[in-house]
Amino acid sequence: MRNLLATTTLLFGLAATGAVAAECGDITMAEFNWASGELMANVDKLILEEGYGCNVDLVIGGTTAIFASMNEKGTPQIAGEQWVNALRELLDPALAEGRLHAVNTAPIMGLGEGWWIPPYTKEAHPELVTVLDWIEHPELFPSAEDPSKGAFVGCPAGWGCQHVNLNLFKAFDMEAKGWVLVNPGSAAGLDGSIAKANEREENWLGYYWSPTSIIGKYNMQAVPWGVEYAGNEHWDTCISQEECTDPQQTSWIQSEVFTIVTDEFMQSGGEINDYLAARVFPGDVMGAMLVFMADEQAAGEDAAIEFLIEYEDLWTTWVSEDVAAKVKAAL
Amino acid sequence: MGILTEFPEMGRADLRDFKKGIDETFRLFTREYGESIENFFYPLLKFLGWFERLIVATPWPLMILILSGLVWAGSRSWGLVFGTIFTLLVVGYLGMWEDTMFTLALISVATMLCIIIGIPLGILMSKSDRTQSVITPILDIMQTIPSFVYLIPILMLLGIGKVPGLIAVCIYAIPPVVRLTNLGIRLVDKDVLEAADAFGASPRQKLWTVQMPLALPNIFAGVNQTIMMALAMVVVAALIGVHGLGQEVLKAVNNQYLALGMMNGLAIVAIAIVFDRVSQKFGKRLQKHSEVIHG
Repeated sequence: MRNLLATTTLLFGLAATGAVAAECGDITMAEFNWASGELMANVDKLILEEGYGCNVDLVIGGTTAIFASMNEKGTPQIAGEQWVNALRELLDPALAEGRLHAVNTAPIMGLGEGWWIPPYTKEAHPELVTVLDWIEHPELFPSAEDPSKGAFVGCPAGWGCQHVNLNLFKAFDMEAKGWVLVNPGSAAGLDGSIAKANEREENWLGYYWSPTSIIGKYNMQAVPWGVEYAGNEHWDTCISQEECTDPQQTSWIQSEVFTIVTDEFMQSGGEINDYLAARVFPGDVMGAMLVFMADEQAAGEDAAIEFLIEYEDLWTTWVSEDVAAKVKAAL
Repeated sequence: MGILTEFPEMGRADLRDFKKGIDETFRLFTREYGESIENFFYPLLKFLGWFERLIVATPWPLMILILSGLVWAGSRSWGLVFGTIFTLLVVGYLGMWEDTMFTLALISVATMLCIIIGIPLGILMSKSDRTQSVITPILDIMQTIPSFVYLIPILMLLGIGKVPGLIAVCIYAIPPVVRLTNLGIRLVDKDVLEAADAFGASPRQKLWTVQMPLALPNIFAGVNQTIMMALAMVVVAALIGVHGLGQEVLKAVNNQYLALGMMNGLAIVAIAIVFDRVSQKFGKRLQKHSEVIHG
C-alpha cells in the first residue's frame, strides 16, 4: 500500500513536472503601462523564468487594449494586474463563458480610488475627519483662479471617474458650499498638481487612487467618506453615468483587481496558476516599492530585482522551496 | 570588439544619480521661487480670467456682431464676414459655443502676449548679429522640443490651469513673430536707410518711421503664423487643465468618441481659417498701402 502510494505520488509528480516542462516553453504576459503593473509583470517574469524555466515575453499595454487582445486573440496569456471596475461589462461574460479565468481576485491588497489630502493638512485639522467634515471648509483649499472658492481637483476629462467625481460633487452639494471642480486635464496634470501642493505644503483635496507612487511618496491620506456605500445599482445606473439626475451621497465603490489568464493557459499552465493564485502583494509593500521606483527612476526590471532581494520573506511563501532556491541562486 | 558594439555608457548608477540630481535641484528651485513666480504671473491670470468671463458672458448675437465687425475691419471682405457668421452659427448650433469662446479667449490673449514680447525681441535681434546668434538657437529649441517635456517643469512651478497653459502655448507659438520681425527689419532696402540717414533721422526715428512700416507685411506674416501655432497647441494646453475645445478633443481621444473628436477638431480648424484669412487679408492690405507710398 505504502509502496503504491509512493509510486502514485512519484508518477503524479513526474506527470506534473513533465507537463510544465513541456508547456512552459514560451509564455506571453501583459505588462501594464503603469508602475505597479510594470513591477508585478517583471516579478512574475523573473520568478517564472528563473524558478520554473519558462521563457516569458512581456507585452506592454493599457487595460482595455490588453483585455481586448486576451479576450479576442488569446494573447497575452496572463494579465497580472487587471483592474476590473472599468471592464466589468466585458469581463463578466468572458469569465462566465470560460474564455478567461480569474486565478487571483486580490493580487494587491489595500487598493482603491477615493479622495485624498496631504498628511500635513490632516495633521493641522484633527477635528476634521470625513468627507462630510472637509467639504464644509472650502476656505482651506483656495482655488488659484478664484481664491474665494475652494478647489476640488477631480478626474481628467474623458476618464470614467470624471462622471463619478462630478456626480459626487453634486451629491455632496459642494457648489453651494463654495467649491469649484477643477479638471486637471490629464494624468500628468493631476500628478503635477499633487506634487506642486506637497512641495509647497499647500492644502489639496482631490481624486486619486492607490497603490501609486505619488500616494506613497507624499504619504497622501485617504479621506473616509462618512456615508455608506449606496449600493451597486445606484452606482452603476447613476453615479458612474454622465446622465444622473439625482445622485445620492455614497462612498466610492470597492475597487477590484484580478489576475486573469486565458482559458488555454488555465488548462496548460499547471503549477504556474498556483503561483499566480498565491502571489499577493500587501498594500504597504506595493506602496514602498512604488516610492522606490519613483525615487530611483527604476524601470520594472530593476524594481523587480530590488523586490526579490528586499522582500525575500514575502515571495518565498508564494513558491515551493525548490523554486525559491532556484530564483535565489539566479539573483 | 565589445567596445565597438557596446556604447561606453555612463553607468547605470551614475546616470541615475545624474538624473536625480537634476530633479532635486529643480525641486529646490520650485520650493524656493515657485510662489514668487506664481505671484509674478498673477496679473496675467486675473486678466485672462476677466477676459474669458467677459467673452463667455457676452450674449451670443452681440459676440457674433463684434467678431464679424472685427473681420470686416481687418479684411474688408463681405465673403469673409458671411463665412465667419456662418461658421459661428454652425459651431453654436452644434453645442460648442462656450468651449469655442474659451478657446478664442485663450488664443487672443496668447497672441497678444506673443506680440508684446515677440516684436521687441525681434527688433533687438535685428539690431545686433550677436543677439541674433544667441536668440536663434533658443527659438529653434522652442519650436522643436516636444511640448510634453516643458509641461513637467511648468506644472511644478505653476500647477494646473490657465496661466501654465498660456505659457506652454506661447513657448511654442512665439518664434515666428520674433523671426519674421527680425527678418522684416533686416530686409529693408539699404538705399532707403541711407536716404533716411541723409535726412538726418535719429536711430529711433529710423526704426519707427522707416524700418517698422516697411517690415510690417513680414511682421504680419509672423503674427499670422503665431496665431496658427497657438491654435495647434490648444489640445496640449488642455492636458494641463485649460478649458475649451481642446478638453473635448482629449475626452474624445480617451473614449474613442469619433464624432465628438471630429466636431471639436473641426471647430478649431474653423477658428484657424477665419483668423488666417483675416490676418492674411490685413497683411496684404498693409502691403498695398506701403507699395503706394514707396513704390
